[in-house]
Amino acid sequence: MNGTDFVLRGVGHEYRAGALALAAIDLSIGCGQHVAIVGANGSGKSTLLKMLDGLVFPTLGEIVAFGVPLTEDALQDPAFRRDFRSRVGFVFQEADVQLFCSDVRDELAFGPLQLGLPEDEVRDRVRDVAAQLRIEKLLERPPYSLSGGEKKRVAIACIITMQPHVLLLDEPTNALDPRSQVWLLDVLEDWKREGRTVVMATHDLSAAAESADRIVVLSEDHTLVADGTPDEVLAQHELLLSVNLIHEHTHRHVSTAHRHAHAHAPGADPDEAHGHRRD
Amino acid sequence: MSAPCPCCQADIAPAARRRGGGGRSLARKTADSIAHAVTDVLQNEELAARPGLLQRLDPRVKLLTLVLFAVTASLVHSVWLLVALIGLTIALAAACRLSVTSFQRKVWASAGLLAFLVALPSALSVFTPGEVVVSLGPLSLTEQGLMGVATLVTRVVASAGFALLVIWTMRWADLLRALSAMRMPDVVVATLAMTQKQILTLLRTVEQIHLARESRTLTLGTTRENRAWVTERMAFVVRRSIKTADDIYDAMLSRGFTGAMPSLVRLRMRARDWAWTAASVALCIAVVALDNVVGP
Repeated sequence: MNGTDFVLRGVGHEYRAGALALAAIDLSIGCGQHVAIVGANGSGKSTLLKMLDGLVFPTLGEIVAFGVPLTEDALQDPAFRRDFRSRVGFVFQEADVQLFCSDVRDELAFGPLQLGLPEDEVRDRVRDVAAQLRIEKLLERPPYSLSGGEKKRVAIACIITMQPHVLLLDEPTNALDPRSQVWLLDVLEDWKREGRTVVMATHDLSAAAESADRIVVLSEDHTLVADGTPDEVLAQHELLLSVNLIHEHTHRHVSTAHRHAHAHAPGADPDEAHGHRRD
Repeated sequence: MSAPCPCCQADIAPAARRRGGGGRSLARKTADSIAHAVTDVLQNEELAARPGLLQRLDPRVKLLTLVLFAVTASLVHSVWLLVALIGLTIALAAACRLSVTSFQRKVWASAGLLAFLVALPSALSVFTPGEVVVSLGPLSLTEQGLMGVATLVTRVVASAGFALLVIWTMRWADLLRALSAMRMPDVVVATLAMTQKQILTLLRTVEQIHLARESRTLTLGTTRENRAWVTERMAFVVRRSIKTADDIYDAMLSRGFTGAMPSLVRLRMRARDWAWTAASVALCIAVVALDNVVGP
C-alpha cells in the first residue's frame, strides 16, 4: 500500500441542531484498500460516503483527501475541484438519481467531458467501457427506459469512464438480482487488481465479506465501533447483534429449539452461527 | 403527458359504489392513468426511431421547419388553406409511419375539442352579428360567427398537428441537442433534461403509492377520506421531489458538473436536410401569398 487517500479526524455531522448523522469518526483509508462500511439503516453510512465525495461537509473535525483538507472552500477552486472529481467517483444508491442525461451514450460521456477531456478520448472511453460492461446495445436508449439491473450497470459505467482512483459505492448490491450481484462482485475484484481504492457502504455482510479486505462498523448512534479484517469483524457476533446487523431468530423443531444468528457471511462456521438447546 | 389530476379522481369512489362496487378504485384508476402516461413517453421513443420521412432529418431542421409551418398556420385566415395544412400534417404523419388514426384522435381530442368549446360562444349573434344560420330559442348562431369558430379550430388543429409531429418524430435526446445547437442557454437545456427526468421519476413514485394503497385497501372509502389521503400524498410527493432534485444535483456535482450539458453527438446537415428546408420555406411563402389572394 502506498500512501493514504483519506484521513478523517474527529468527524461529525449534524443535519440540523440535534439531528446527528455522524459522531467523532476517526478513520484512515489507504491507497488501494477495499473498505466496506457496514451499519444498520440510518447509521450514517451514506452521509460518510457523501463526505468522502465532498458533497456533504463535517460540522465537526476535518477530512483530508490526498493530503489536502477537503472543505467547501477548497472545492470552489476549479483546479482542485477538477483534480478531486477526476480522482473520486461515486455510485449512488439509487441509479435513477445518477442518470440524468437524455441517453446512455451522453450519460457515459458526461463526467469525462465535464473534466475537459478531448472528445476523441471520451469516445474511446465510452466505447471501451460499454464493451467491458456489455452495455453497447443500451447506448442510444434513454436511461428511464432501462430495467433496474441495466440502470445499475450504466450508473457504474458512467463512473468508470472517468477512470477514478477512488470508487465510492452506496449499497451497490441493493435491488440487484443474483446474476447482477455476481457480476458486480467480479467488477470489484477487477478494480482490486487494478489497485483502485474502493469504499463501499452496505448492510449486506455477505458482499462485504466477499469483496472487502477491511470492514468498518457504524453503530445506530452513528459512531465507529469496529474496524478490522472481515474475519475479525464478522467473528464479533455480540457486536453485530448490538449494531442491528444480524438478529437472533429462534424456532422449534419438535423438541429442539434452533437459534440462528443471521449473518450470511460466506465461509462462516455454521456451528458458530447457530445455537442449539434442548428443551 | 395526459395524467389526470388525482384530486379530480377523488369522486370516483362514490360513483363506483353506486354501480354496486364494480368500478375501479381511486388508487387503481390513478395508477393506471400514470402508467399510461409513462408508457406514452416510452412509446414516443419507439415512434421516433421508425424509418420515416421526418425521423431521417436533422433535429434542428425538423424543429425549425415544423415551427415555421405552425407559424404559417397562425398567419393564414382562409379556412380552406388551413384545412389543406391539416391535410399536410396527416400526409406527413403517414410518411413518418405513424398511425394516422391515433394522430388525428390525439390532435382533435385535445386541441381541437378545447378550441371548439372555447370558440363556440363567439358564434352567437350576441357576439358576432350576421346572418342567422341556427336558432336555439333566444340564442342564435351566425354564419360569420361559425366561420370564425371554424377558422380558430382549424388553425389550432393544424398548429397542434405540427407540434405533435415534432414530439412523435424526435427523440427527447435529439430535441435537447437541437435546442443546444441552436444556442439555447445550457441552463435551459439542463433544466429541460432534468424536468423530464423528474416528471418520470415522480410519476413512478405516485404510481407505486397508489398501487401500495390499493394492495392494502378492502373498501373504496368515502370521498372525504379519499380527498384527505390524496392531499396528504401530494404533500409527500412534493417533499420527495425536493429531495430527488437535491440528490440529482449532488450526482451531477460528483461528476464534475460545470454548468454545461455537453454531448458527444455532432449534428450535421445533409443534402436531404437542405432540400427539406428549401421546400418547406417555399411552401410556407406560397401558402401565405395564396391566403392574401384568396382571403378569409
